[in-house]
Amino acid sequence: MRKYLYILKSEIMTNLQYTFDLIIGFAGYIIHIFIFLNLWQYIYSDPNELINGYNMNQMIWYVIITEIIWTAVSGRALSKKISADVKSGNIAYNINKPYNYVEYSLFNHLGGTTVRFILISIIGLLLGFVFLHGFPPLNILQILAVLLSSIFALLISTLLIMALGLFAFFVEDASPFYWIYSKFILVIGTLFPVEFFPQVLQPIIKFSPIYAVSYGPAKLFVNFSMNEFICIMISQVAYLIISFIICHLIYKKGVRKLNVNGG
Amino acid sequence: MSVIKVSNLSKTFKVKLKEKGLKGSLKSLVKPKYKIIKAVNNISFEVEKGEIIAFIGPNGAGKSTSIKMMTSILFPDKGSIDILGLDPVKDRKKLAYEIGCVFGQKEQLWTHLTPYDNFKFFGAIYDIPNSKVEKKINELRELFELDEFINTPVRNLSLGQRIRCEIVASLIHEPKILFLDEPTIGLDPVVKENIRSLIKRMNKEYKTTVVLTSHDVGDIEKLCKRVIIVNKGQIVLDDTMENLKYHYLNKKIVEAKMNTQVNLDDEEGITILKDKGYNLKIEVDTKKKSVSDAIKLLNPDNIVDINITNIPLEDIISDIYKDGDK
Repeated sequence: MRKYLYILKSEIMTNLQYTFDLIIGFAGYIIHIFIFLNLWQYIYSDPNELINGYNMNQMIWYVIITEIIWTAVSGRALSKKISADVKSGNIAYNINKPYNYVEYSLFNHLGGTTVRFILISIIGLLLGFVFLHGFPPLNILQILAVLLSSIFALLISTLLIMALGLFAFFVEDASPFYWIYSKFILVIGTLFPVEFFPQVLQPIIKFSPIYAVSYGPAKLFVNFSMNEFICIMISQVAYLIISFIICHLIYKKGVRKLNVNGG
Repeated sequence: MSVIKVSNLSKTFKVKLKEKGLKGSLKSLVKPKYKIIKAVNNISFEVEKGEIIAFIGPNGAGKSTSIKMMTSILFPDKGSIDILGLDPVKDRKKLAYEIGCVFGQKEQLWTHLTPYDNFKFFGAIYDIPNSKVEKKINELRELFELDEFINTPVRNLSLGQRIRCEIVASLIHEPKILFLDEPTIGLDPVVKENIRSLIKRMNKEYKTTVVLTSHDVGDIEKLCKRVIIVNKGQIVLDDTMENLKYHYLNKKIVEAKMNTQVNLDDEEGITILKDKGYNLKIEVDTKKKSVSDAIKLLNPDNIVDINITNIPLEDIISDIYKDGDK
């Protein structure tokens, strides 16, 4: 385990050299939040009115939190990097090191994710605090619970996107998979909570990974309940294990048919 | 004691064929055609402990593929490899602790970190206790003269400095065998020389076995006592450097400057390479004709200057490559 923590640490060191660039990169996030701030303010005639159980502040906080997780994972770069590693044969040079490529990539990416998550959380929470005049009422334990479920969400999201990138073992171009996934997450996970979808779809969404990677931590942040927390934990632990196994399976199968030519 | 035993090793690649043009592309979409390429074809050899051995051959000869199989990056189709008693296919992780690899064309260092941080990183990866890593880094930084740039991010290093760091990074865990795949590619002669002497020193100090591939004859000549030449996936020569030279050195190049014009014709054992009247360059096959006989043909009294040299190793090797092509 020490080696993987060291990988994480090295990647954090790398990222800290570029904090300024990272912050510039968050411009997109800030713009998103502004758009939704205005949109929801326009839709809610009265901020205390409830739409599908959410008042206006909760709705905006929901988007702030889901976007924090999505931006911190920075999935496009990850899926690109993994498929480039596979396509270029770079992955081969990780095979004869005493670590596993899946764990290596996971911790490697988490290094950047950690830095991004901390920075963007500060920005996001600050934005929310300024525009919504305060935070949702949470006690210390509840804050820790939200944090725990956010960390799970980051881990699962990273693993799922890695799995999509690893498809490059079998197809020429794995980016369409990522594209579809990201659009699904955007619509179903990031912008609207599960409650906004038709009754028939809701159970499906609750059993999908979207519930674990996006809805979970945001829902807990805006409206904490022990019941919900337990459901989300079960879903997250299950998806963590599932996505971890999927990555390993794809990798194991893929490596066997690996060709490295030239050089 | 042999540390590497390779027997009857083979590896084939399946390559997708595409006919030219859009039509070909569509065709290959419906019914892809494949070509089987034998990258490595039934090779066997052994390497003793502490040897520096060169693995050379033209591009596409299969040397990198062989190295990749020995370092468990690729799986062989047939044959067996035994490295320090381990099988690269089954004992991949165990083997990783015993060998080090440097691929001249691939970076394994983290470019945004300094060499020092990189070495610490590799130490952690190979589960070496911190105090030991520190000691090892100090030892290697002296041996490889890294003091000047050990705290400069790798991305700001010159290629020569980077390769030195790459080699050090692969030595942190004290591997018993070091695989160097074209370590001097793209380097200038001075740096090349420097790297060669460092490799040599390392080999002496730690008794590390070195398997090296290179296109640079200088690397081979200065470092290796034994050379394996592969071409088209097969070993065409496996011999000591001395034997290689000796066998092929029955040919001498005689360059002479004359004060009168000589007309020389090709004859048994003599090939005229260049004839510019006063300046002559001939190749003498000493098996058929002695050098002194050749000089007599030139008329020694008229020679102003003479130079007798061996055929450059480079030519010998490319001759062997060509023989393999026939």
